[in-house]
Amino acid sequence: MLSFVFRRLAVAVPTLLILVVLSFVLMYAAPGGPFNSERPLPPEVLANIEAKYGLDQPFWKQIVNYVVSVVTQFDFGPSFQYKDRSVNDVIAQGFPVTLTYGFWSFVVAVTVGVSLGVAAAIKQNSWVDYFAVGVSIGAQVLPNFVMAPLLLLVFTLWLGWLPGGGWNGGQWQFLIMPVIALSTSYMASIARITRSSMLEVLNTNFIRTARAKGLPMRRVIWKHAMKPTMLPVLSYLGPAFVGMITGSVIIDVFFSTGGIGQFFVNSAFNRDYSVIMGITILVGTLTILFNLLVDILYAWIDPKIRY
Amino acid sequence: MLPNRAAVEGIAENMHLAEVKGRSLWADARTRFLRNRAAVISLIMLCAVAGFALFGGLIAQYKGDFVNFSLIGSNAYLGVPSLETGHYFGTDSNGRDLFARTVQGTGISLMVGVVGALVAVIVGTLYGATAGYYGGRIDGIMMRIVDVLMSIPFMFVLILMLVIFGRSIFMLFLGIGLISWLDMARIARGQTLTIKNKEFVEVAVATGVRPLKIILRHIVPNLLGIVIVYATLLVPNMIIFESFISFLGLGVQEPATSLGALINEGSRTMQFGYYWQIAFPLFFFIVTIFAFFFVGDGLRDALDPKDR
Amino acid sequence: MSLLEIEDLKVTFTTADGDVNAVNGVSFHVDKGETLAIVGESGSGKSQTAFATMGLLAKNGRATGKARFDGQDLLQMSQREFNAIRSKDIAMIFQDPMTSLNPYLKISDQMAEVLMLHKGIGKSQAVKESAQMLDAVRIPDAAARITMYPHEFSGGMRQRIMIAMSLLCQPRLLIADEPTTALDVTVQAQIMQLLGDIRQDFGTAVILITHDLGVVAGFCDRTLVMYGGQVMEEGTTDDIFATPAHPYTSGLLKAVPRLDRDDGDLLTIAGEPPDMSNLPKGCPFSPRCAVSLDRCRSQRPAMETIGNRRRACHLPASEVA
Repeated sequence: MLSFVFRRLAVAVPTLLILVVLSFVLMYAAPGGPFNSERPLPPEVLANIEAKYGLDQPFWKQIVNYVVSVVTQFDFGPSFQYKDRSVNDVIAQGFPVTLTYGFWSFVVAVTVGVSLGVAAAIKQNSWVDYFAVGVSIGAQVLPNFVMAPLLLLVFTLWLGWLPGGGWNGGQWQFLIMPVIALSTSYMASIARITRSSMLEVLNTNFIRTARAKGLPMRRVIWKHAMKPTMLPVLSYLGPAFVGMITGSVIIDVFFSTGGIGQFFVNSAFNRDYSVIMGITILVGTLTILFNLLVDILYAWIDPKIRY
Repeated sequence: MLPNRAAVEGIAENMHLAEVKGRSLWADARTRFLRNRAAVISLIMLCAVAGFALFGGLIAQYKGDFVNFSLIGSNAYLGVPSLETGHYFGTDSNGRDLFARTVQGTGISLMVGVVGALVAVIVGTLYGATAGYYGGRIDGIMMRIVDVLMSIPFMFVLILMLVIFGRSIFMLFLGIGLISWLDMARIARGQTLTIKNKEFVEVAVATGVRPLKIILRHIVPNLLGIVIVYATLLVPNMIIFESFISFLGLGVQEPATSLGALINEGSRTMQFGYYWQIAFPLFFFIVTIFAFFFVGDGLRDALDPKDR
Repeated sequence: MSLLEIEDLKVTFTTADGDVNAVNGVSFHVDKGETLAIVGESGSGKSQTAFATMGLLAKNGRATGKARFDGQDLLQMSQREFNAIRSKDIAMIFQDPMTSLNPYLKISDQMAEVLMLHKGIGKSQAVKESAQMLDAVRIPDAAARITMYPHEFSGGMRQRIMIAMSLLCQPRLLIADEPTTALDVTVQAQIMQLLGDIRQDFGTAVILITHDLGVVAGFCDRTLVMYGGQVMEEGTTDDIFATPAHPYTSGLLKAVPRLDRDDGDLLTIAGEPPDMSNLPKGCPFSPRCAVSLDRCRSQRPAMETIGNRRRACHLPASEVA
């Protein structure tokens, strides 16, 4: 098992390096740096500033410096835009917010999605099934950037029940709409995958064997059908994670929650490269770690996978 | 955001089965598809939406970039949808005709979706078929690359690219193309591995046909069913994708527009009661996405009839 | 009283293309400790007869008629009552050992749960008894291998595990649905021998479902021949083999390859198995029958009983070659 984890990590490290180098190259190739504004600075001032940030050094030296400081000290350097703050400060401010509503969105998507899917499969062609299928089909056309304005319209503008934005330390009123907006379409996909996976499993020969043993249906489902049902769901969780973390950009912009997505978009418009790179690398690392976790879970469920 | 891989993999199985049984898969599939009422209705809706995008401009009373200055500032009562003023869908907050803009937005969204899905499917199929056909170390390296690319959060890289190289439709296509072929490559590879061992491929190899020709003539045609279904399911995802970018203001640029950009604009003015500004774009967005999903599901069920 | 009495069993599946009648009025009985063979081509309804008896029909299937086990009608039972009988009194082993065991659970878990459920014993005791049963079906090193997963066993071994699992509660009736079809010929013989030994050791009645007449001879007391979801002929195995009284049976017998005789080419029955959603009006076998009469196509032959034999054919038994 341990060697399996190590082997997966061995793939993860070069992936991360590629990500770092790729974003650095993109940035380097960019026409116009962060200090090219409409009112051009005097050349000597610009040179001074660029020297301060190491922008005057040759390409290879910049990249090596960057990679070394990222890898050895988790230091993404200073922010170009927020003069008094480092990238780490920005991340430290935004990340807990993103993590909070991201975590709850994930929990909601998985628990609601899996329960709906299982219920629908067990009661196939009953009203439970039609309801679940209806909800999951409907929710598929409601990605986060559609859900967000709709929720705002209903719960803030019409009903006035929930605040239209802000974070307020993560109080529940401020958490509800971001979580629903972010999780809905993934919940729907998980429900659909669970349902069709469960239906397929219930048709297998080994479920027939389990029923022939005289086990009650509840036990057949929990002990015999659940594990194989979850395998396709598990492999969807990786893409779902990426999708949610991407969707957090919308959530932050729309609900002014102040997560890293907001900083990302602001920095993108202001060419604050160090912040963009820092966030991209952070998100990439999270994705890779999450995929590793999914792989391990997968190997744990499926005995046919050799470590 | 991408269609579920496992969902389409049964199709190839069914195609082999059909081959063995000697019945016409495509004729059977058509019968089954036509019996699926939701899919047929969706197909008709899709045609209607496409017709709206193509010919809607003919009945629009204004050009999409014409600013009706007489309406600015009095949007709440003069810019409402009305047959009399000729603004069937009302105007946007800049006094432009929303009908003309919705026509344009629908067209661009459809184009981005279809072209994006086509690029993804073509690249993915060829890549996957090549990897699967050669196998061994080449396969190993090619699929490792896919694995690596898969775990990069591409939306962030894409936003980076849009910021750095400027916002253009070309950039958008490139970015979308970069992400979406990966899953198709995996599917195509998996199916190629099974097709590779069939007699007709072995015969071709034994008679000295060149690998490229074998891939194009013998393997790719056998992936057709999967490719069609996956492409159909990919289109709405591409549309969602583009809308996401446009919603952030990074996609299609003014004066051109897309459904995502229109929804974004509408969402900003709905608090003033200008509901039509979000309602019409959202309606076309939802109908299009719905229809593509249903047609895709219908195609899949038609090509791979299984109890789902 | 017979152990199992099936009376006018019908199995219907509802599909998008209309109803499919897989079993059309089948009747037979099995006595205590007796071995009955049900023989027929694929699609003859023999497996569905067994599934209906075990209450394991697919969701869209319906069974009508009577299936009395020990006097109780299985088809009228609630799920709860049925579950108390399954595997305890009637057990079943399936055609495909490769897929019939749960690949995600250890053999020990899969076997022990049967004992824990029906005998109410603890886990460790149940695992111990399961290992003993594996030993009884001649799985080497059973105590250690019981903690392995199914994919670590060969097909023949998995079928032995299935047999061991079905015998855990010493059922009075064992239904074996083509237990050797998916296995190599040498393994087939071993499995059949194992089944034979078990029948003697435990006194279990066995229903052996097969399309392979070679397996039936020398193993089963009586044989039931099915075609198109109906019984064609029934009798002691010796009688059926010596003097088949139905054209279908005699066709099947001629299609068995034999080493002790040199008949030149192997005979086959011309034509395809019937379309169960659209059976012929008369005898289901009539379209393929070489000696069919006009009557055969329009009128379903009635079951006639002569001594301990039954047959459903318009042609007099003496004229069937």
